[in-house]
Amino acid sequence: MTDLPRTQHIIASGLVAAVGITVAYVSYTQEPAAAFLFPRLISTVFVVLALWTFGKAVLGHTKVGNGLDRRSMMNILPGLIVALIFVYWAAKQLGFYTASTATFFILLSLYDPASHNEVKSWIKRVIITAGFLAVMYGLFAKLLNVFTPREIFF
Amino acid sequence: MKKLVAAAAMGLMTMTTGALAGGHENFPERPIMMMVSYGAGGATDFQARIVTMTAGNEDALGMPIAIINKPGAGGRVGWNWFATQAEADGYTLGAYNIPHFIAQSIEGGVEYSADSFEPIANWGADPAVFVVAADSEFNSMSDVVDYAKANPGQLTFSGAGLFVGHHIAALQLEKAAGVKLAYIPNNKGGAGAMKAVIAGEVLGGVNNLSDAFRAREAGNVKILGVFDLERNDFLPDVPTLKEQGFDIDNASVNFRGVMVPKGTPQPIIDKLAEIVPTMFENGRVAGKMKAGGSPMHIMTRDEVLEMWAAREQTLKELLAGL
Amino acid sequence: MEFLAYFGDVFTPINFGLLLIGTIGGLILGATPGLSPTMAVALLIPFTFRLEPAQGLILLGAAYTSTVAGGAVSAILLKIPGAPANIATTLDGHTMAQKGQGARALQLSFLASAVGGVFGVLLLIFLTPVLAQWALAFGPSHLFWLAILGVTVIGSLDSSSVVKGLLSGCIGLWLATIGFDDIMGAQRFIFHSSVSGGINVIPALIGLFAIPQVITMFAKGRKSLDAEVLTVERHPIKDAFREVFSRTRALTIGTLSGSIIGLIPGVGGQIAGLVAYDQSKKMSSESEKFGTGHSEGVIAAESANNAMVGPSLVPLLTLSIPGSPTAAVLLGGLLIHGIFPGSDLFDNYPDVAWTFINSMLVGQILMCIFGLYVAGLAAKVAQVPNAVMAAVVLGLAVFGSYSVQNSMGDVYVMMALGTGMYFLERFGFSAAPLVLGLILGPIAEANFIQGSMIANATSSVGQYFFTGALNLTLITIVVASIAYSAWMELRSRRYTTKDDAIEKEEALS
Repeated sequence: MTDLPRTQHIIASGLVAAVGITVAYVSYTQEPAAAFLFPRLISTVFVVLALWTFGKAVLGHTKVGNGLDRRSMMNILPGLIVALIFVYWAAKQLGFYTASTATFFILLSLYDPASHNEVKSWIKRVIITAGFLAVMYGLFAKLLNVFTPREIFF
Repeated sequence: MKKLVAAAAMGLMTMTTGALAGGHENFPERPIMMMVSYGAGGATDFQARIVTMTAGNEDALGMPIAIINKPGAGGRVGWNWFATQAEADGYTLGAYNIPHFIAQSIEGGVEYSADSFEPIANWGADPAVFVVAADSEFNSMSDVVDYAKANPGQLTFSGAGLFVGHHIAALQLEKAAGVKLAYIPNNKGGAGAMKAVIAGEVLGGVNNLSDAFRAREAGNVKILGVFDLERNDFLPDVPTLKEQGFDIDNASVNFRGVMVPKGTPQPIIDKLAEIVPTMFENGRVAGKMKAGGSPMHIMTRDEVLEMWAAREQTLKELLAGL
Repeated sequence: MEFLAYFGDVFTPINFGLLLIGTIGGLILGATPGLSPTMAVALLIPFTFRLEPAQGLILLGAAYTSTVAGGAVSAILLKIPGAPANIATTLDGHTMAQKGQGARALQLSFLASAVGGVFGVLLLIFLTPVLAQWALAFGPSHLFWLAILGVTVIGSLDSSSVVKGLLSGCIGLWLATIGFDDIMGAQRFIFHSSVSGGINVIPALIGLFAIPQVITMFAKGRKSLDAEVLTVERHPIKDAFREVFSRTRALTIGTLSGSIIGLIPGVGGQIAGLVAYDQSKKMSSESEKFGTGHSEGVIAAESANNAMVGPSLVPLLTLSIPGSPTAAVLLGGLLIHGIFPGSDLFDNYPDVAWTFINSMLVGQILMCIFGLYVAGLAAKVAQVPNAVMAAVVLGLAVFGSYSVQNSMGDVYVMMALGTGMYFLERFGFSAAPLVLGLILGPIAEANFIQGSMIANATSSVGQYFFTGALNLTLITIVVASIAYSAWMELRSRRYTTKDDAIEKEEALS
C-alpha cells in the first residue's frame, strides 16, 4: 500500500472516530437522561467500532477502499464546487430554475467530451440545457405545483 | 430585442408593485398554504384536507388552500416552524391541536406558547376514549381502576405520546381515581397505540374516539368510557367517565382548528375569522366529515380565544404535579 | 384468494397507464449505468405525492420491478451492470454478447426475470396475509431485535468489511436520533437549524444514493463512455423460450435462492444474483462452461434478481421492517399517504395493498414483453454521456428533495449527506447499512423505550428483552450473521488483495 491511501484512510477514519466520540460525549452529558438512553447505547458501539477502524488505518491494515488518487480529485473538484455553490447559495438566492439551468450548462461545459472550440458543440449544449429546463419546469411547476424559491429571477 | 427587455422589465415592475402596493382589501390574491404538524393521512391531516376543500369557492376565500405537512415529535417540529419561520402575511395558516401545543409549551423546550399564535376558527373536537381488547376481562372503568388498585403501577395502557390529549386523559384518570398507572406512549400515534391494545402488548389504552369507533366496528376492541362532558353521537351506548364516578372534564378533548402566526395584520385576521367558519359549515364538508367518523365542532375566533385561555389554566394545574 | 377480488383495479385506465409508464421508464432507467433501482425509486417518490396511494405505489412498484430487470441490458451489452444486482449477469451475459449472441442473452435474461419475478410475487401474495396475522405476535422487544437484525445483517453480509459495515450502520442509527425525540420531546444533536426537525428520510435517501453517483461521474473527467456496444443480431424468441425452460436446474436454483434471500430483512438484492450464480455453478454438470457465455449463468443470475423483488416486500408489508434499501424507499412512499404497513394495511386499506401487489404481478409480465422490445432502445439510452447524466441527476435530486416538504433545509441535508457518503464510500464504508440504520433507527428506539416502560411496569428489562423463543431466535441470528461474516473475512480473506477490491468497486460504479 502506498502512502497516499494510508494517510487518507487515517484522516477518514479519524474523522469518523471524532464524530463518534462527540456523539458519545453529548449523549452521556445532556439531559434529560431518558431521552438519551438510546443514543448512549448506539454511541458506545459507534465509538468502539470507530476506534477499531482508526487503529487498523494507523497500522496500515486497512483492506478495503482505495481512497482517491490525484487525478480523480482534480476531476471531481470543479464539478463538486459548482454543485455545492448551486445547492448552498444559488438555488435560494437566484431562484431554483435560474440556478439549475446555469449549473446544468456549466457542468455540461466542464465534463462534456465534445470540443470547446466548435460552435456546433456549444449549440448542442445550449439545446440540451434548454430541454432540461423545459422538462423540469413542466414536471415540478406545472405537474406537481411545487412552489420553489424564485428570489431574484425565476 | 431592446423592446423585449424593456417590456419584460415593465412587466416585472408592475408585478412587484402590484404585490407591494395592494392593501388587504383584495386578500387573498394567491393560493394559501396551511401547515399541518402531523403526517399526511393522520386524523388531523385528513380533516384539514376536508375542511379546506371548499376554500376556492367564490363565496369562501376564492383561493385554494394547499396543505403542507411538517410532522415530527408530536407536532413540535411543525409548530416551532410556524412560530419562528412562517411568514405572518395571512398566506400561511396552521392547524392547531388543543391540548397538545399548550401542554407542550407548559412542559417547555419549545419555541412557542399560546401567545405565539392567533386563532381563526375551530372545526372539530375529538374526545379521548378508554379502550381494551375485545377479549379483555375489563368491562367497565371501575374494573380497570380496581385492577390498578390491586396492582399499583402495573396497569399498562397505551396512548399517542406525551403531552397530547391522551396523556392528559391518563393524568386526569390517575388523579380522579387516585391510583398509579403505567402510561406507555407510542411513537406511531393513535394507530400504533391501538395496535398495542389489540395485540395484547398493553392491558388497555386511551385513543381517539374516531379510531376507536372504527376498531370497535371491526370487532377488535371494547370501549369503556368517554373523556368528555357528554356522551358522543357516534357512541351513544358508551358512558362518560363522569357517569362512572370519576371527576374528569373535557380537558383532554382534542380540538382542531385554524390559526395564523402572531403579527399577521389585523384586517386579514378579521377577514379570515369571518369567512373560515362559514367554510366549515358547508354541507359537502359536513357530509365528508361524518362519513370519515370525525366529529365536528365549529367555534368562532372569540370562542376559541376563550377556550385556549381556559385550557391553559387547567393544564397548568394538571401538569404542575409532574 | 382475496387478491383476486382486486385484480380489476389494476386495469383501470389510470392505474394501467401508470403501470406502463413505470415499467417502460423503469427499463430505461435500469439500463442506464449508475441509476440503481433504489435511486430511481427514490427520485420518483416526489412524483407520487399528487397521486392516490394505490396509484403512487403502482408506479413505484413497477419502477422497482423493471429497473432490476433493465439493469441486465447494459450488463450484457456494455459490461456495465445497470445496478449492483446485475454484476453476476455480466459474467456470462457479456461473453455471450461478445460472441454475437447479444439478442439471445437479452431474451434469456428477460424470460428468466419474468419467471423468477412471478414466483416471487406469488410468494408475496400467499405469505403476506399469513405473516400479517402472525405479525401481531411481534411485541416491542421482538421488533427492537428485528430492527437491529436488519442493520447488522446488511452491515455484515453486504459490505466488504464487517467492522466498516457495522460502523456505517451505527452512523445511520445516530443520524436517525437527530431532532426531537418522539417520546419526551427533548432536542437531540441539533447542531444546525436544517436538522431541527430531524433528518427527513426521503431527501436523505435521494442524497445518499444519487449524489455519490454524480460525483463518481465527475471523477471520470472529460471522456466519453469507452465501453463498446456490440451489435445485436436476431434470435427467434421461440428458441429462447425453449432454452429457458429446458434449463430447469438453473432456473429453479435462481428463483429459490432469490426468493429466500429476499425474505431476509436487510440482505436485499445486491447479493441474490451472485449467490444464485455461485450455487448453480457448483451444482451444474457443466460448471466448467460458466464464464464462457453459458446460458445457465444468465438464467440463474437474472431469475434470482427478480425473484428477490416480491419477497423483499414481505417484511415491509407485514412487520413494517423494510427488507432492503429499495423497500425502505417504498415505505417512505406509503408513509407519505399516512399508511402504516402491517396488519393495519390489510385490515383498513385492502384495496391499496392488493391493487399494489397485483400490479406487481402484472408488471412482471409487462416487463418481460416490453423488455424484449425495448432492449435495443435501452442500450442506446445507456450511452447518455456522463456529463448530461450527472447534471440531470443533480437537478432531479435538488428539486425532488425540496418538493418533499418545501424546505430548503432538506436540500442542504441531502447534499451534505450525499457528499459525505461519496468520500466514505471511497474508504470502504457502504451506503446500504447506513440507510437501513437511518430508517430502522426510530423503529428500534421506539420499541426499545416502549419495551423498557412495559418491562419496568410488569417485570424486568432483562427478562423482557432476553427471554422468550422469538427474542432468543432473533438474537441468535444477529450474533450468527456477524460471527459468520467475521469468520469468512478472516478465513477466506474476502477482499484481501487490493485488486479484488478495485474490481468490485469498478463493477459497482
